[in-house]
Amino acid sequence: MSLGRAWLSAFAAASLITILPASAETMMMGQDQAQPVRGLWLTTPFPERTVDFGDTVKLDISLKNKAMPPERVELALDGLPEGWTSEIDGSGSKVSAAIVGTDDTETLHLILTPPKDSPKSAGTFAFNVRGTVENATPGAPSKLDLPIKLTMAEARPAKLTLDPKLPSLRGTAKSSFDFELKLKNDSPKDTVVNLASKAPDGFQVAFTEGYGSQEITSLPVKANETKTIKAKVKAPQNVAAGTYDVAIGAQSDSITAAAPLHLQITGQPKIALMGPGGLLSGTATAGEERDFTFTVANTGSDTARDVTLTARAPSGWKAEMEPKTLGELAPDAKQEISLHLTPAKNAVAGDYMTSVRASGSGVSNSADFRVTVATSTLWGATGLGVIAAALLVMAVGVRRYGRR
Amino acid sequence: MQREGSPWTGLWAVAAKEAADHLTSARMKIVLGLVILTAIGAAYGSAGQLKETVGSDPFLFLRLFTTAREPLPSFAGFLGFLLPLVAITLAFDAINGEYQRRTMSRVLSQPIYRDALLAGKFLGGLVVLTICVITLWLLVTGVGILSLGLPPSGEEVARGIAFLVVSVAYSAIWLGIALLFSTWFRSTATAALAALALWLLFTVFWQMLAPLVAGALAPVDPLDPMTALTQYNLQHDLMRISPTTLYGEMLTGILHPSTRALGLLFRSQMEGALMGAPLPLDQSLLIIWPDFSGLVAGIVLVFTLAYVSFQRQEVRA
Repeated sequence: MSLGRAWLSAFAAASLITILPASAETMMMGQDQAQPVRGLWLTTPFPERTVDFGDTVKLDISLKNKAMPPERVELALDGLPEGWTSEIDGSGSKVSAAIVGTDDTETLHLILTPPKDSPKSAGTFAFNVRGTVENATPGAPSKLDLPIKLTMAEARPAKLTLDPKLPSLRGTAKSSFDFELKLKNDSPKDTVVNLASKAPDGFQVAFTEGYGSQEITSLPVKANETKTIKAKVKAPQNVAAGTYDVAIGAQSDSITAAAPLHLQITGQPKIALMGPGGLLSGTATAGEERDFTFTVANTGSDTARDVTLTARAPSGWKAEMEPKTLGELAPDAKQEISLHLTPAKNAVAGDYMTSVRASGSGVSNSADFRVTVATSTLWGATGLGVIAAALLVMAVGVRRYGRR
Repeated sequence: MQREGSPWTGLWAVAAKEAADHLTSARMKIVLGLVILTAIGAAYGSAGQLKETVGSDPFLFLRLFTTAREPLPSFAGFLGFLLPLVAITLAFDAINGEYQRRTMSRVLSQPIYRDALLAGKFLGGLVVLTICVITLWLLVTGVGILSLGLPPSGEEVARGIAFLVVSVAYSAIWLGIALLFSTWFRSTATAALAALALWLLFTVFWQMLAPLVAGALAPVDPLDPMTALTQYNLQHDLMRISPTTLYGEMLTGILHPSTRALGLLFRSQMEGALMGAPLPLDQSLLIIWPDFSGLVAGIVLVFTLAYVSFQRQEVRA
């Protein structure tokens, strides 16, 4: 009887809605304001989603209670395809039932593991997360259903990009080339990226992260994250001028990214002066010319141009270089030059400082040369002459008086 | 009349006898004792001074001869003062003493020429002086090794030998002067006084007199700087008449290896020079060579004077 009356009233209400849709709507809104939502639900933000082949699927499930007494909900899964295993985690441990307090939400994680040898075929399957409430309080549902639909699809390819901010730098062999690179993990998964470099012999490449000072060889990059790394390239000191290519590579599990870098190294001439036989000292006689052979070498990485050779000596001395200028001196080339040195006639014996200087465009070097001056032995002969004259006087005396 | 036979007969006999007489004579002992005492005192003082002041010197042993410690003069200074005294002591009565003892005619009645007698007396004195100088040098070096604890280096030994040669030459000229006076003056006291007067003049007063004489002979015109140079050069030349000045200059050249010249130097000559760098030994010897040859020539001339004077004397008295 009562069932029949309920049916009747329901029918009457339905017909009423059809007849007066506008008034019914206003009435229902009024009902919402007066009576707030109350009940018990299982929800998930994305009930239909696409997952990659062979990936473990993680879903966040919320158990919500609004204005209801705490209820115990038994959790189970219906309609999972064969071979799949499932697990429901709550606060880090496996659970099979949950109690949610009044006006509270419990977050649960559903982890679905595909069979190991599952065929990689696209397809859709649906299953149901079911919660059963035993001894439900009046007004509370005894069954909670959360239908979920998963579409299997081919995995989106992982991607790693490495972009240099300034791919070409210019400097001398002594300068440090700092390249800034942006490393982006363009894939849905976190990964660890190894960094590697390929540089010409003698070049040194070191990686640092951002503004850090620690040298790194690998770094973790989260999904869709971009990190700034720096590659410091140091060229060997004696490198010849030219353009050098350095390749920087980034590698995660299966994917790689590369960035070609260019170093333009400008050369620098450097002049070295060596004395005769590697010595920076010699001997000369006062008033007599002496030749010393010096060696000019270019130990730099670029041609030295317009090299002028000058010698400095005390006043009264003659110091001339031959040749006076060298047009060009290629890197690693040597040239012998002569210093024609004539100490002053009245120079006293002893050590004197002279210096030889080679200066080109932008480079110069000088070498101090110590000259030991010996005086002429002419005076020695004069002294002997004085003694001889004295002996002659004695001989005359002996000849004149030596008869007794 | 031309003489027969070698004039050198008996030369070595006279020299050996003369040296033996000197070495055993009382006055020689007194003078040598004085010299050795003062020399050891000077060397000991300089060694103490060296240990206190000089840290490292490549020619430490040469410093031993030249470093003075108040109130004593340096060893080289002592020698410059006292070596003439020893030489005068040895030779002031070489010839006139024989006359006074009336032994000259006895000696010359032997088959010995006068040449040999005079040269033998000179050589005998020179041998004694050489022994004396070498002994002193060895003593000082020994004191140096004992107190410094270092052996002398090769160059130091070479310079030490040059120092010996120069010292012997220096004493030889005083020996010659004393010999000359002993032939000139018949009285030994006069000869000794004359030699001592010359010794005082040259060792003490000459360095005061020379500037005065030079100032009188070459006055300085304040408007002409070259006159100052002329005066200095004249003064330097006058100073060099004294054997003591020559000896001092030679010792400076030998014992201070950084000495570059003994006279006046222009600033332009020293431009670019490394001060204090020691000269090689041959260059040092070249610097003192004019002084040394002048000294040797002086010895020969003084001996020639004595020879001529002795040859013209009447022996039978």
